Formats: sequence, C-alpha cells, structure tokens
Amino acid sequence: MHEALLQALAMLSSLCGMGWLALAMDTHWTQVRGAVRQGARGVKRLRALAGAAIVASLALCLAADHASIAVLVWIMSLVLATLLVAFALASRPRWLRWLALAGG
Amino acid sequence: MFPNFRLSMTWLHTWFGLVLGYVLIVVFFFGTLSVFDREFDRWAIPQTRFAPQPIPSFDAMLRPIFDHMAPEPADLEALRRRSGGTLPKLTPVEWTAYTTHRDPVLSLYTEYAVGNDADKPDEEIYAHATIDPRDGRQLAGDPLKIGSEFFYPMHIGLHLTWMGVGYWIVGLSALAMLCALVSGVVIHRRLFREFFTLRPRKHVQRSTLDLHNLTGVAALPFHFFFALTGLTIFAGIYFPVSETMLKPQAQAALVAQAAERGLPAKAAGVTAPLASVDAMVAEAQRRWAARGMPGDVGMVEVQHVGDRNSVVAVYRAGSDRVALLGQAIHFEGTTGRVLHEEPPATVVTGINDFLTGLHLQQFDHWLLRWFYVVGGLAGCACIVTGFLFFVEKRKRQHAKVGLGGARWADAFAVATVTGMLGATLAMLVANRLLPDELVGRNEWEQRVFWGAWLVALLHAAWRSAPIRLGKASPAWHEQCVGVAVLALAAVLLDAVTTGDHLLKTLAQPYWPVAGVDLALLVVAACAASVAVKHRRRKRAARLALRHA
Repeated sequence: MHEALLQALAMLSSLCGMGWLALAMDTHWTQVRGAVRQGARGVKRLRALAGAAIVASLALCLAADHASIAVLVWIMSLVLATLLVAFALASRPRWLRWLALAGG
Repeated sequence: MFPNFRLSMTWLHTWFGLVLGYVLIVVFFFGTLSVFDREFDRWAIPQTRFAPQPIPSFDAMLRPIFDHMAPEPADLEALRRRSGGTLPKLTPVEWTAYTTHRDPVLSLYTEYAVGNDADKPDEEIYAHATIDPRDGRQLAGDPLKIGSEFFYPMHIGLHLTWMGVGYWIVGLSALAMLCALVSGVVIHRRLFREFFTLRPRKHVQRSTLDLHNLTGVAALPFHFFFALTGLTIFAGIYFPVSETMLKPQAQAALVAQAAERGLPAKAAGVTAPLASVDAMVAEAQRRWAARGMPGDVGMVEVQHVGDRNSVVAVYRAGSDRVALLGQAIHFEGTTGRVLHEEPPATVVTGINDFLTGLHLQQFDHWLLRWFYVVGGLAGCACIVTGFLFFVEKRKRQHAKVGLGGARWADAFAVATVTGMLGATLAMLVANRLLPDELVGRNEWEQRVFWGAWLVALLHAAWRSAPIRLGKASPAWHEQCVGVAVLALAAVLLDAVTTGDHLLKTLAQPYWPVAGVDLALLVVAACAASVAVKHRRRKRAARLALRHA
C-alpha cells in the first residue's frame, strides 16, 4: 500500500512536470489560458517547477522500489505523462488550467 | 544522390519504415500482448485458473515426474528418420524446473544426449511437461499456452522456424527501427517545439503526422531501449561465433570457467544417486536470506543427471529486481555440498542482466507492466500513423498518374493492423469453441489464426480499390466492425463455456481472466467507435460531394 501511494505520487509528479513543461511554451499556454499573457518570469517559473517535479518523481520512484526498477518506472511515467498532457491539450486544454495557475 | 543529409534521411525513414514497418508492427503488437502472456495462458486454459504456486518438493513430486518424462512422439519420429530408421539411445543429461511469480503451473524440461555418435556431438532432443504443482498432475493433452507459446514466439521469431529465419527477420527489423528512430529525429524539424503538439482537427495528413511524431518522440526511450535490447538478447544468434569460428575457444573457456568455480565441466561416466534436492533448495534460501535478499526459487537445474559429477543449481527468482534470475548456488548433486555461490554481478554482467531483464520483464511490478503496454501501444500507433501518412501523402498523386502503390501500401496496412487484431481475436474465439477432445486442437487454433489473417489480407486487397481514386478504403471500418464483434464474442464465449463471467472474476477477484476480458471489451468499444466515426465521415463526404 505504501509503495502504491509513492508510485501514485510519482505519476502525479511526472504529470505536473510535463504539464508545466508544456505550459512554458507559448502555443500551449495560449491553448490553456487564451488571451491571458505570460511573462518571461512566468516561463522561468514554470520551467523550474517542471524540473523540480520531474526530479521529485524520480525520488518518489526510488523510495518505492529497488533502483533498477525505479528508474524504468520513472522513465515510463514520463512517457505516459507526455502522452496524457498532449491529449489533454488537443481535446480538453481547460483541464490543465490548475497547472497554469503557477505560471501567473 | 540527395541534395542534403535531411532528404537522404527522409528517404531512409520512409522506405525502411514502410517495408519493415509491416514486420515491426507484428513484433510490437505481439510484444505488447506478451507483457501479459501468462494471463492469456490462464484465459486460454481454464483448468489452470488458480493462484500462482511456489516450486513444490523436488524429491517427492518433481523427481518421479522427471524420471518418467519422454520427448514428443513427433520429435522422436523425426529423430528416428534423421538417424536412418533406428531410434538411438537417449540419456537424460539435464533437468530444469522453471516458474515465475505469475505461474500457477510449473514447466519441466529434460534434455537428452543422443546415442554415442561422434559425428553428431550436438544432436539433442528435449521433453517438456506442464504440471499442476498442487498435486503433480500433468496437464492433459498439454494444451496450447496461447500467450507464452504462440504470442511470445510470434514476437521474437514470427513462427518462421526454418533455419531460424524468423529471428533474423525480426533482428533486421529491430536494426531498421533503430535507423528509423535516428533518422526520424534528424528529419523532425521541430522536435522540442512540437513535443506536445497534436492537432486532431487539422486535415488528416497533418493530424496523422502529429500523432506519428508524438507517439514516436514521447516514447523514444522505450522504443530505443526495446529495439536495442531485443538485438542484444539475441546477439548469440546474430553473431554465433561461439558455435562456429570460435567454437574450440568457447568450449575451452567454459571448461576453464567451470574449473575456476570448482564445477565439473563434463560427466564422469559413473552412475551415482542424487542427494536430497529439497535440502539444497532450503540451504540456498538460507544463504540468500543471510545476504539480506530473501527470495523465492525461480529455477532448479540438475546437470549431468544420474552421474557422479551431477550438479544442482538453484536460482533465485528475480521478481523484486529487473534481472530475471540470479544469485545461483551450485551444489554437488551426490552429496548436497555447496560447490560455488555466485558472487554479486560485475559491472558488465550487471548491465547485461539489466538490459535483458528490462526487456523480458519477469519482475513483480504491475504498474511497470502496464507502462510497458502503454509503450508498446505507442509503438503500434507510431507505425500505423506512419503507414497512414504514407498513403495520405501519395494517394491523390498516385490516382492522377494511375499508380497502384498507395493502394497496396494501404491494403497491407489494413491487414497488419485490423487484420492482425482480428486474427488474434479469432484465435481466442476458436480457443473457446473448439471441442477439448478434438485431435490436434492446438494446431487448429493456430490454423484459425493464420486463416483469419489471410482472409483479412484478401478482404483488404479487394476493398482497397477506392484508394486508386484518391478516396479512403472501406476495409478499415469493415474490419473494425469485425474486430468489435470478435472481441465481444470472445468475452461472451468465455463466460458461457467456463462460467467465469466478469461479475464472478471481478468479485473474486481473479485478475488474469478479468483483465483479459476487460481489455477485450475496451478493444470492442474502441473498434466500434472507430467504425462509427469512419462511416460517419464517409457519409458526410458523400453528402458534401452531392451538394457541391
């Protein structure tokens, strides 16, 4: 159960990380926030958050499993997160609004 | 030949991708199914639907079974023919019992040395049995394990066994895939800028390319490592130097390694009894626990069976690691004395074990298993969208000049996508419909698969004529309807013939069967939805044409 919770948090962290990475790009920011402009500081903040979330995801994976398995879980969680963020941006961009709050 | 590097890479990506893509999609699809091969086995063999079991007592249960095992009559007959009409003497030289954390049944193998013919030192023959480890009973008729004996061999060798040609075709395709990945990265103009880009509302060619790029780039580490490790696992087949030009050196190395470990390299030729293997298994488990890594037994191997030099090797199951099996402890067969305890892996061995284990995934980690399915399906989506992009880009152009290339590319794409899916489902339906007492039932299940696939190819070729006019082929949505019907039929037939309907398997829960049934329902829903959308789009296009 403990491992399952850590893995769920790792997946969530990967999702936030890839979501923030996408929102740091103008095109995707516009898809989610429309006319609300994003400053250079906002972009930097989103990139920093994305990096931190991706590292946090690795740490959570390492806490849940043996390192050899954890690194595979981490990479594959990033793969799934990328696909989910891309599909959300394509069909339901508003679902990512809560992540965009961090970008100002 | 080409004005610049990017264009030459485009050519490479397009043509290698198209030609070997038809093989790659088969490899990817059956590789994805093989992630749950043991679960398909449970679905296909209802009498094995019980919880996974540890390896039972060797002395009390396995030893008597090994003593009575014999090769298949067909294999014996083939050996008799090869040996000029008389069956040579068979001597068991190796016994193996292998299981994983997902196996309720236990697989036993015996290897026999054939006669004393010095001209054929490599002639070997095997016997195989699957038993219920709860009571030692052998599975009647040894029914086909659809997951591990049909889907998995399809993934690694396409069931083309003549001269091992299937392994070579799959290897060539894996190599082509590595080239396609590198060339794909080179020709992708906006790899980072369009990392998350998917525009489903743009025209078909654009949205198809977006999905091709997304599934290719997002899962690039998965695609790369699986193509690479697929090649490294079978490196011994592709570079068989230890069996050919360097054979004497390889054998000398084996003898030297055995001497270094204190293990006998050859049988002494003197008969001797085997000590208690159960005691050796208990000692191995005690030693693993003392090392701080208690674990289950994954494999027990007896080499030089019945000889004074017999060796019993007990391997730890790698369920909690990426490596498959490891930490082997070798015992002297006649006394049970420890001869050699494998030390922790060196860096090179560790990397090799990791690369092999990550591909063959016998670990006990369901999340990672599902992640692999996502990676595999992303690979399938990438290849399919590659086919669709190829056809979309060329079909009008080919229609204008009367070329049939796009038509055939599309027909083969239909056959290798929906056709292959339909053939797989037809096999599952046949598994539930063919009577148990049917002679050659296992072969009939396979015939249904190949027959259904051939029908799908003929149907795709027949119905793809509109591509020559620059239109869409109706074969896609017609085969999607077939897939939906077959998937639904498989779920219903399983419920009717075994009584293991979803309400029951979910309530127990018995995930191997519930999981396959749920996946089949998802396949049915997706195929039906694609068929409906395809038909709706076609109708809208027809109406627009009429009003224009």
